[in-house]
Amino acid sequence: MASSQHVLLSPAELAYLHASLSLTPPIRPDGRSPTQFRPLVAETGILPGTNGSARICFADGTEAIVGVKAEVERTRTRHDFPSLDEGAEGDDDDLEDNQHDVVKGDNDWVEMTVEIPGYRDDDAGTVFLSAMLSEALLADGEFTKRLWINRRFHWKLYLDILLISPPLSYPLPLLSLTTHLALLATRLPRLKSEGDEDPLFDDDWAAAAYLYPRPAAKKGSKKTTSFATPTARPPVTLLVMAVGNNIIFDPSKEELAVADVALAVSVGESSNPSSSTAMDIETEETKGHHNLRILSVRTIDPPSRLTPPGIPNASNSAYGANAAGAKDTEKKKQQQEQARTAESEAVEGVWKAPRGGAKPLVLAALVQKVLEKGGVADEVLDALDGVDLN
Amino acid sequence: MASLKRSFESDPFAQNISSKVYVRSTKSGKVQKIVREVYLRQDIPCSSRLCNACLKIAPRDAANRPIPFVLSDKPAGTSVFTQGHYIVPDTNAFLSAMDLFEQSSAFYDVIVLQVVLEEVRARSLPLYNRLISLTKSEDKRFYVFFNEFRLETYVTREEGESVNDRNDRAVRKAVKWYNEHLSKTSKKAPAVVMLSNDRDNLRKAKEDDIPAYSLADYVKQLKDGEQLLDMIPEVEERDALIEKKPGQFLYPEYYTLSKMNTGVRNGLLHQGIFNVSPYNYLEGSIRVPAFPKALLILGRENINRAVDGDLVVVEVLPKDQWKEPSTQVIEEEAVTKNENPDTEEGSDLISEKERKALQEEAKRTLAKTTEGHALPTAKVVGIIKRNWRQYVGHIDQSSVSSSAAQGRKQDSVFVIPMDKKIPKIRLRTRQVAELLGKRILVTIDAWDRTSRHPTGHFVRSLGELETKAAETEALLLEYDVQYRPFPKTVLDCLPKEGHDWKVPASMDDPGWRDRADLRDLLICSIDPIGCQDIDDALHARPLPNGNFEVGVHIADVSHFVKPNNAMDTEASIRGTTVYLVDKRIDMLPMLLGTDLCSLKPYVERYAFSVIWEMNSNADIVGARFTKSVIKSREAFSYEQAQLRIDDASQQDELTNSIRTLLELSKKLKQKRLDAGALSLSSPEIKVHMESETSDPIDVKTKEHLPTMSLVEEFMLLANTSVAAKIYEAFPQTAILRRHAAPPKTNFDELANQLRVKKGLDLSVESSRALADSLDLCVDPKEPFFNTLIRIMATRCMMSAEYFCSGTQSYPEFRHYGLASEIYTHFTSPIRRYADLVAHRQLAAAIEYEPVHPAVRSRGRLEAVCKNINVRHRNAQLAGRASIAYYVGQALRGKATEEDGFVMKIFSNGFVVLVPRFGIESLIRLRDLAEPEPAATYDAETYTLTTTGSREVKVELFQKVRVKVTDQKDETTGKRGVKMELVSTY
Repeated sequence: MASSQHVLLSPAELAYLHASLSLTPPIRPDGRSPTQFRPLVAETGILPGTNGSARICFADGTEAIVGVKAEVERTRTRHDFPSLDEGAEGDDDDLEDNQHDVVKGDNDWVEMTVEIPGYRDDDAGTVFLSAMLSEALLADGEFTKRLWINRRFHWKLYLDILLISPPLSYPLPLLSLTTHLALLATRLPRLKSEGDEDPLFDDDWAAAAYLYPRPAAKKGSKKTTSFATPTARPPVTLLVMAVGNNIIFDPSKEELAVADVALAVSVGESSNPSSSTAMDIETEETKGHHNLRILSVRTIDPPSRLTPPGIPNASNSAYGANAAGAKDTEKKKQQQEQARTAESEAVEGVWKAPRGGAKPLVLAALVQKVLEKGGVADEVLDALDGVDLN
Repeated sequence: MASLKRSFESDPFAQNISSKVYVRSTKSGKVQKIVREVYLRQDIPCSSRLCNACLKIAPRDAANRPIPFVLSDKPAGTSVFTQGHYIVPDTNAFLSAMDLFEQSSAFYDVIVLQVVLEEVRARSLPLYNRLISLTKSEDKRFYVFFNEFRLETYVTREEGESVNDRNDRAVRKAVKWYNEHLSKTSKKAPAVVMLSNDRDNLRKAKEDDIPAYSLADYVKQLKDGEQLLDMIPEVEERDALIEKKPGQFLYPEYYTLSKMNTGVRNGLLHQGIFNVSPYNYLEGSIRVPAFPKALLILGRENINRAVDGDLVVVEVLPKDQWKEPSTQVIEEEAVTKNENPDTEEGSDLISEKERKALQEEAKRTLAKTTEGHALPTAKVVGIIKRNWRQYVGHIDQSSVSSSAAQGRKQDSVFVIPMDKKIPKIRLRTRQVAELLGKRILVTIDAWDRTSRHPTGHFVRSLGELETKAAETEALLLEYDVQYRPFPKTVLDCLPKEGHDWKVPASMDDPGWRDRADLRDLLICSIDPIGCQDIDDALHARPLPNGNFEVGVHIADVSHFVKPNNAMDTEASIRGTTVYLVDKRIDMLPMLLGTDLCSLKPYVERYAFSVIWEMNSNADIVGARFTKSVIKSREAFSYEQAQLRIDDASQQDELTNSIRTLLELSKKLKQKRLDAGALSLSSPEIKVHMESETSDPIDVKTKEHLPTMSLVEEFMLLANTSVAAKIYEAFPQTAILRRHAAPPKTNFDELANQLRVKKGLDLSVESSRALADSLDLCVDPKEPFFNTLIRIMATRCMMSAEYFCSGTQSYPEFRHYGLASEIYTHFTSPIRRYADLVAHRQLAAAIEYEPVHPAVRSRGRLEAVCKNINVRHRNAQLAGRASIAYYVGQALRGKATEEDGFVMKIFSNGFVVLVPRFGIESLIRLRDLAEPEPAATYDAETYTLTTTGSREVKVELFQKVRVKVTDQKDETTGKRGVKMELVSTY
């Protein structure tokens, strides 16, 4: 859908755009640097009835809101469960041991719906968007663990992702960032019961805990305290494209129309305690930077593939090619050959839709660029840090 | 981008809007975040007559008149607030001392804050209702101030603040605002004083300079406050328990609510109503769905502070701790007689004597653990809902120290409740001397883990022990009978004509619409002597085709009591008329019950008629239901009717129609018995009173006359016919009455006793089998034996109950005792609310009137059924208790020897029933002789053999000669019957 949306540009315009994006450094139509995001405005907590919500407006006028609702659900019992008697009757340490063992989630615990105005909810594009967003969330299995209450109950999370403006550009980054913010703002009622009892919650909303707990101290303090409990964050999915050897972030609709390759890269912040030693060293060096890791990568079929090609003057009858007065069949043959070359060979200044898959080297470069320290992902996450989450 | 959030800074109305956010957990386990917007206003008046500012803004009614202000402009003062004061109690002040606020000597001009009112409602509905009726009373001047909607008094919950703390803060803020507000009115404005029993709240109030007192401190400022002091429970200390050393806890801690819920849902714990055995205060039982028999709860520690009637959660004990139910009588008064209420703390949970009593139990069970008699036992692990009410009792004389009887210092005494199932209550009072020998009303406040007995406070005195007024009131209170006079709102619902009301003469009157004119029928009523509320009348006449037309005419109460008006609501709360020996507490006002509705002779009355066509074999050929107008020809008593039937010279039409009815009723009865209806028995007696002083002079068992069963049969028939009709019309919401078949295990004990002692078999497969085998339970030498067995069998049955047809499947509708597939109550609408509902449903079923929502809503009907089931039972118990009291009074000062039968036997006593008086009483071993004779009890043969100071052998079902005297029970203060064994036959 949105990615293959028809772009009303002529082959000549496409060719011009492609050419200017291929320059070093590339010149983007809106004058941004290759790694610069469109400016955005964000706020959270706009829907008081939800457990968490956020809204983001891009400067191009696209706007999305995300609401997160949580419900308590009974976990389906599995056969390998120790019987409840043991759990309830056993002494306390026993219970706690068990608890640590079984904290695990299930992908069914998250239900995501994406709504794009003007498109059916079973439209292939919408489904693909929602698949990408949930894939990023569920890929490492860490997220659903947060929804674990006890061995018998869990939270079921409903994420409603709504684009509320017309899809002026491919909405993936917008939706992802809004979801990211909404999840950061999501709070779940504080559990009062213990162990495997039927859950009982504190009726005070102010006491509700954040799904992604905040660090106890903010950036001001040193590693000893602020990094003692690494704060994980929900993933963000970034849209990256390559034109020639240039890597361009957050492409606009027009830029995407000339992309050689487009990738959706989901990155998360690693909170893996096993790599904590390595992390400590890293943090020494790159203080303030995020410990990023790739969660998923998806290629996106760029709309450029469906654009009509330009025809070189050589084979354009409106220009010289036909004027010579072609009468014999030989010339016709020659023409056909020329036409073939026009489709296979690039002619300077003539637009030709890209063909074939992305080159592995380009892909590697794209991913590398995303993960780069102090790169775009870092920048985006830092920027989102600044949003007031209350 | 403009923010979508409501910004409180920029919005000009922002200060009027606030929001509440909280988490709600529903019963089904859902957890929801709830956001409520609160719109704050400034036009909620303070309602003080001193305040002119509020008068201007106060809301006005439709005629543009301001609603009159409540709080007096000259409020009473106290020793501290001489300028006068208003009172603002907090929630726990109301919860713990509602009786205080109902006093007429003080507590006027009270501001009830909305937050307090809501909290009271959440904590206790009965107290809430009492508070509401206080706010309605004009002379008490209670004003409900909606502090949660007034801008100045609204508080938002702070982070980490508990709801209670937030509400307390709201109370303090309201008090502060009131003080500031009123100080603007005049220089000597009345003070606004907060009353609280929460130390924390009082301390914070003091910090904020808000006038606040504990209830006790406040009452001391009042004139004659001394007397009120007893009604105040002590100041609560939230962390009082923590300060105590753990070693001092006498009782195990309760589980957390979530732990209990989980356990109950998983079937590990069980929830049910806790019942105490009437013979042994240390033995309780609880019926839970998971076990066919009730679970036993033995001993103080296992009972763990549960009081009879509480909804508790229990845990089943391991099998090696299962026991038999006790065969011993253990009475609390006897065992704990010498405890000192002052110095109980730190003592062991189980006193020496209790331990001894329990040890004997253990010995007995150990001796035969191999047998399968043991019942599952359980321990109480938590209490879902206390069912504490006010209890009637009297102060245990022995618990009063000699100094206390004179001085006015506060003393701890024990109150022994009249109900033996309730543990004794520790009470702190200053008026021991006045209260000794009085019937008093007390409530339980708390039962801490550190306290052996529950603590309570004094409510009011009913009067001297053994005076008729005090004892009757005590009885009504104990059985929760609503005996206050009907309020004005109810009386306003009565017809304006009063006693002059007549059936309209003109047939065009709307009252005649769809009514059959049955005034020419020869209708008569047959009731007990002196009956004023005549519910039913009958007629019968031969038809040309040789069949009979038989009519049952029931007072048309639903014509006068319309659904959902004040009178209907009051009647539905009362549920039933309660008959005491010397008093009747009506469900409906006198005017209706004994006049306008009552089918009195010689006057025209509205009725609801059921008319059958029957053949001479009493088979029903057809039935119809109609509203009607009748004119009863005569109101007979059973005796008169019987005499008239027996007198062959009486050959008038009316007498002959009664004879026809009698003939038909005999056939109906036979059919019923053939179908397996049970004829059950309970000892029924009648107290004869001296007409002038209404002092009881004699006791007689009730005589049974054929005319009684005449009326009974036709009423049963009418009820059954109506039940079928309303069920047909309202399959989901018909109000019916069922009597469940008793579980077979209920009869185990009785069947075993009969087999062992008499070689008789009791078969309980069906009601028919039971009826037949009961017929065979005869002792040729002892005609009463059969009745005795019937009495005992009746006690094994379930009790019949009202229900709404949608809640049960059709086979469950069965009335076991009457062997009827479907049954309801239709024939006594003057004295039973269920009948009134049935009337309305029948009227709708025959399309006499449209269906009123109140008789169609299943939820409401279920609530009605639940209430009237309880009321019905209480009314029966109250009636019996009243008879028992009067029997005691009738026997006063007399000693007679009577025949009795042993109906229950324990290892240290036995229960004798004396049919002549319909009373049963316990004879303990120690009553037999002094010193107490040694005894051996054989549980296999139900034989108690005593040796030593007196040698007798007592067996179950044995006929004995006993001397019946009256005796004032020193401990319960009840005058009761005392029996002494004279000889065995």
